Amino acid sequence: MARHIAVIHGPNLNMLGKREVGIYGGKSMDDINSDIAAEARKLGVTVEFYQNNGEGELVSFIQQCRGRVNGIVLNAGAYTHYSVALRDAISAAQVPTVEAHISNVYKREKFRHTSVIAPVCIGQICGFGAYSYILGLRALLDEPLDPWLA
Amino acid sequence: MSRSIPGWPEEAREAAILKKKSFLVLSGPNLNLLGTRKTSIHGEDSLEDIHKGLQLRAEELNVQVDCRQFNSEGDIIDSLQEAPGRFNGLIINAGALAHYSYALRSAIEATLLPCVEVSISNVHAQEEFRHTSVIAPACSGVIVGFGKKSYLLALEGLVDLSGA
Repeated sequence: MARHIAVIHGPNLNMLGKREVGIYGGKSMDDINSDIAAEARKLGVTVEFYQNNGEGELVSFIQQCRGRVNGIVLNAGAYTHYSVALRDAISAAQVPTVEAHISNVYKREKFRHTSVIAPVCIGQICGFGAYSYILGLRALLDEPLDPWLA
Repeated sequence: MSRSIPGWPEEAREAAILKKKSFLVLSGPNLNLLGTRKTSIHGEDSLEDIHKGLQLRAEELNVQVDCRQFNSEGDIIDSLQEAPGRFNGLIINAGALAHYSYALRSAIEATLLPCVEVSISNVHAQEEFRHTSVIAPACSGVIVGFGKKSYLLALEGLVDLSGA
């Protein structure tokens, strides 16, 4: 079965590599997307990328993923911590979604310790830098990660 | 091709070259019961199955893993205290201890080793008291919700973090 994954970046992630590189690393969003695309080719899946700073645009995009993509890797940025609308969109889309963060949010300010989207995601990955997205992609796939299925 | 290192016996040179990065995988209380209780949340695989999978993945990644399980908080702390100098990183599924064991957090911090916190289930979809991990701030990264695969992803992430 062909598998198609959407990688979605939320607010301010277009600034990657330009702001607070001590926390988020020196790679730009385009660099990270290239790495994800390379990994996807290795895994035999297709990916598409989307970034928007607007909550409403992200909600609309996630809604449109329904029935169209097999999985979502979502870094919702700061919306993670308060956007109930995003949470409802994920629920409504009925697409397995992995929550990913570049930094370990639990090492940071208290308000970042709560994710309102986590309960509707299949799982959460944070703290591995840009590699969090790669792990998120792999988490959505069974092969070749899972030696039990090999 | 053989390059000799002055002053080193040949065997020591070989051992140094062959030395793989080594990671300690610790599982906490009740994880020995995996596969036998609440299988809808925790899955059908036993911890032994998970450890076998980790060994296979470690071989593919050219690293070593040492997998252990303890029900006792003190035993986990003892293992953590012995880890520096023996291991290059840690994977820990602390079970329920994740939510309240400050002693575990201190022990992780004291190792100064990169540590990944793992949970099989998506703790955020469970009871409120499971939404907080007191050990997460002492870890490099956190992976929750992917079943047995959480451990495998943690190993991959740790290998990437430690540049193995």
